[in-house]
Amino acid sequence: MKTTKILGAVAALMLGGAGLAYADAIKLEGGKDTSMILLPKFLGILVFDQANEGAQEAHKELANPGKLDFVGPTPENSVAGQIEIMTTAATQKLGAVMLSNNAGDQIAPAAEAAQAAGTKVVTWDSPIPSAKGESVFVAQVDFGSIGVVMADMAHSILGGAGEMAVLSATPDAANQNAWIEAMKKTLAEDAKYKDIKLVDVVYGDDQSEVSYNRALALVDKYPNLGLIMAPTTVGIQAAAKAMQDEGLCDRVRVSGLGLPSEMVSYTMNGCAPEFALWDFRDLGYLSYYTAYGLATGQLKGEIGETFTAGRMGDYTIEADPGREGAKRILMGPFTVYNKDNVEAAAK
Amino acid sequence: MSAIPTLALRAVSKSFGMTAALADMTLELFPGEVHAIVGENGAGKSTMIKIMTGIYQPSSGQVEIGGAPVVLSGSKAARLRGVAAIYQEPMVFPDLDVTENIFISATGAGLILDRRSMRRRAEALVGRIGMTLDVDREAGGLTLAEQQAVEIARALSQDVRVLIMDEPTASLSAHEAAELRRIARSLAASGVAVVYISHRLEEVFEIADRVTVIRDGRHISTRPVAEVTPQGMIADMVGRAVGNYFTKMASVARDEVILSVRGLTRAGVFEDISFDLHRGEVLCMAGLIGARRTDVALSLFGVHAATAGEMRYKGQMVRMTSPAQAIALGIAYVSEDRRKLGLAMPLPIRSNISLATLAQYLSPLGLIDRRRERGTAMAYRERLNIRAPDVEMAVGVLSGGNQQKVMLAKWLAMKPDLLIVDEPTRGIDVGAKAEVHDLIRAFVRDGGTALVISSDLPEVLALGDRILVMREGRQMGIIDSARATQEGIMAVATGQSEAA
Amino acid sequence: MTGLFNRLSPQGLRILALLAVILLLLAFFASQIDGYFNARLFSRISGSVAIMALIATAQTLVILTRNIDLSIGSVVGFTAFAAGNLVSTNPEMSALLLVLFCCCFGACFGAVNGLIVAYGRVPSIIVTLATMAIFRSLLVEYSDGKSITTNTLPAWLTEFPNLPVFTVFGLEFRAAFVAALIVVLAAHLALTRLRPMRQFFAVGSNPEAAEMAGIDARRVVFSAFVLSGALAGLAGLMFLARFGNITVVAGLGFELKSVAAAVVGGVNIFGGSGTVIGALLGAVLVDVIDTSLVRWAIVSEFWREAVLGALILLSVTTDTLFTRRLVAWRAARAHARREAALNQEARP
Repeated sequence: MKTTKILGAVAALMLGGAGLAYADAIKLEGGKDTSMILLPKFLGILVFDQANEGAQEAHKELANPGKLDFVGPTPENSVAGQIEIMTTAATQKLGAVMLSNNAGDQIAPAAEAAQAAGTKVVTWDSPIPSAKGESVFVAQVDFGSIGVVMADMAHSILGGAGEMAVLSATPDAANQNAWIEAMKKTLAEDAKYKDIKLVDVVYGDDQSEVSYNRALALVDKYPNLGLIMAPTTVGIQAAAKAMQDEGLCDRVRVSGLGLPSEMVSYTMNGCAPEFALWDFRDLGYLSYYTAYGLATGQLKGEIGETFTAGRMGDYTIEADPGREGAKRILMGPFTVYNKDNVEAAAK
Repeated sequence: MSAIPTLALRAVSKSFGMTAALADMTLELFPGEVHAIVGENGAGKSTMIKIMTGIYQPSSGQVEIGGAPVVLSGSKAARLRGVAAIYQEPMVFPDLDVTENIFISATGAGLILDRRSMRRRAEALVGRIGMTLDVDREAGGLTLAEQQAVEIARALSQDVRVLIMDEPTASLSAHEAAELRRIARSLAASGVAVVYISHRLEEVFEIADRVTVIRDGRHISTRPVAEVTPQGMIADMVGRAVGNYFTKMASVARDEVILSVRGLTRAGVFEDISFDLHRGEVLCMAGLIGARRTDVALSLFGVHAATAGEMRYKGQMVRMTSPAQAIALGIAYVSEDRRKLGLAMPLPIRSNISLATLAQYLSPLGLIDRRRERGTAMAYRERLNIRAPDVEMAVGVLSGGNQQKVMLAKWLAMKPDLLIVDEPTRGIDVGAKAEVHDLIRAFVRDGGTALVISSDLPEVLALGDRILVMREGRQMGIIDSARATQEGIMAVATGQSEAA
Repeated sequence: MTGLFNRLSPQGLRILALLAVILLLLAFFASQIDGYFNARLFSRISGSVAIMALIATAQTLVILTRNIDLSIGSVVGFTAFAAGNLVSTNPEMSALLLVLFCCCFGACFGAVNGLIVAYGRVPSIIVTLATMAIFRSLLVEYSDGKSITTNTLPAWLTEFPNLPVFTVFGLEFRAAFVAALIVVLAAHLALTRLRPMRQFFAVGSNPEAAEMAGIDARRVVFSAFVLSGALAGLAGLMFLARFGNITVVAGLGFELKSVAAAVVGGVNIFGGSGTVIGALLGAVLVDVIDTSLVRWAIVSEFWREAVLGALILLSVTTDTLFTRRLVAWRAARAHARREAALNQEARP
């Protein structure tokens, strides 16, 4: 059982986007043959495997006789590996590549070459910043709304007043920076958050030991710190473990974006009372529908096009407010986990 | 001499691919004898040593120890049977101290090091060969002679029956070499079979009981040393007549003073060096190891600036602070350490010869003109008789003598006015020695000037017009070579007499 | 005091110099950061040094033989993952068995490196660069996208690192740090007192001479890699216990940190000399800088890496110059004493 809390801001944005270009939803016809690959940042991370499960589910549903392969680079070779796989995909004349980009704009030339060879490039989770070579970006949530959610969680945990710090992944992770900016904006603009003070942003490189040490350093640096906000699944887990190990959970809480299965014990013992995440299975599922529609020519990939993505309902291609000239499909919403729902979700 | 040899080679051959390094070699070593083995570089001496020490396996033939055939499967197996070797370049571990060096290959000892008893035994061993040495010092800081003593002590620590000494004195001063020969003799007297390999023939005559000559991987002769003459031995070795190695040539020195040095001092290293060097002159610097001759040369060449004193070059006052400055003034320095300072071993002969004069080979575009570079290299190969089929060969694969010639060619290509040469013939065979001497003579005949550092006294006497003798950083005097003798130089260098 | 000073080896001097640099740095940061010194500072540094000390020791063993092990981070990660997998399916297994498992598991990786380097005669930098990627890829394959999470691990394991063992002057020594110290000391004793380990120095110091001295250099290099792998395995277990959450990126970047700690600690990168005590202090030094920089308000996040690099360079340079001066000065004094003694003798 999963209780879903749809956030007002997200709903409003979605309605707004859909309302502007309302049209009859295209029903995608199954059974067409096109081979595609799902390309994660790198292999061996749970959320990417979940995305693959969702994509495989959609693959069966649409009865595509072609192949869906889950291929990715190894962790230490992520950037070069992604570019290489993209290049190979183009030469193999695949229908589409679904990419969670970790290579910044470095992958753009390879993506453009793929497009020229007739291979669609659908990004998910993390887009190509310049949108060059990208057909459309399937956004997990609106980046602006993450800021609101994080600010709300901080407000609830701190009881409306206190100091907080952010533990991010790397200083050049585009999605992390966008989320942190959005949160700063929310904190500054809404009087509701006037007593919450953001004191620092540090980076844990998405590695357990660095994040762990950074979290402890934050506690040492700010004696009045009440909350560490970590919008990364590695960071939130490491920070929670650090607070628990040092017996600090009654003073400093942890929140951010995390996986229920990794966070369940910290939520139950109060170290991380609330955290949020979207469903990566759904993200893979929706990405597959989008890529399938584009690869089989049933979708043009133009702004205003609406289609039905199986069990998830109707979605519309719209302009990406964060990246000029880019197109996105906004998945939303996401789930906030707490004591009441985390155990069920962890199973 | 007992009837059973301690170690014997019976018709041993060794070939590498198509080339035969040793053919049908026979050798018997008896306890208590010093057995010299002489031959030109490349005659097969090192292959022979490697077979005796188990590093190579013979292609055919038999190694016998104590009359019984054995297979020496590696250097450890050879050590266990009492065969040890020491080399010209001492095989020490620079980062370990003397004690640790001596017992590094100790076999049959326990697992845990007993530092105190090791230290005591190390002191005893060092004492047994008549050296005084702090056994706690790191071997990297010892002189070559001391490092060799460490190696001998290491061999002694393992009950050695055959001790092979490969060019042990090539890097030592005369005094230290004499000391080493004394150690070798005393080892033989205690029943060890000593194999002594040396290019210094006078040394062979002094120390050896018997001498074996080999050439081109073959056994030429084995005779008691009393039955051999130097000329006969050299003829055996080279298979041809050797030039004027020991012949004194007339001086071609002129009046013009090229270099004038007054009171040159580098604090704490050497002090008060004064001499005039004339165009066409060969000035030799003699002295024991530690006399600081090389340091004087390095200061003249600008590597380490002198701290006091003055230097006039062609009448101009100069303060030499860098090798680049010295080179620009026409001074060249040929190092004694071919490996470390002189040659780039993996690079071809061509690149090595052009290294110091690269600017001459640049095309207008700033690229290196390979054809011209190659042409120069080939010319020097002819002129210096460098034995290599092609100038593209890596210098590292050449014999020591040929490497030395490449190094000389590198500096001669610069067409220097003043050539400083440090130990030009160390570790190279008599034939090559004579060629190097001829080169230096030709250089001064053509208007050059040479400063030669050498520990080889016959060489100093034959080559130098005058001899500057140093001792522990001080100039002991300058002797006219026409009136000098080996004994006289030695007496000055050891501080037993004043220079005349 | 002067007697002791004269007896100290250059390595001993270097350790003193490192200690001095660490103290200087602590004093510097204390002047810059309010409330810098507290009991927590010690816990922080000792906590993260516990793992790094093991890895630096492992790396030191290999560097001593004139080699390098770049696959060490992958071995740590893989062992952490495998151990986590094992212990979460068999929560009842004994701690000793788990430790043995980790050492053997890591040693197997080390053996692969050692075989290729020592017997295949391929330069270690190339071999371990390749195995770094290969081991990591194998981990990705083996993990199947799962990660090890704290809640699947038995409590005794995750609680172990932070168990207080004893307290000195208000400084709490925790189990992880104490265990690491014991391992480092054992490695130090072995390196200085065991005959076979002495050969590590010989091979690194002069490989040709080692062969001539009857040392099987290949076996020595092979053993160095196996031992290093076993220590990396142990570090993997420590990593698992401390962080609980193990993904396929665990231990990424440890190879360079371990080399940095060893080199800062005075281990000669060209082999032959160095101590694991030095490597431990090197790890401490790097960690002091790293931990303190985060708390130093003047340095922004983006400059921290650069400042860290600069400070490491500075401390290594200071240490090298200081040690060299000291050694030279001491040699000069010893020389002067000898001369004086000789003159004394010469006098009738």
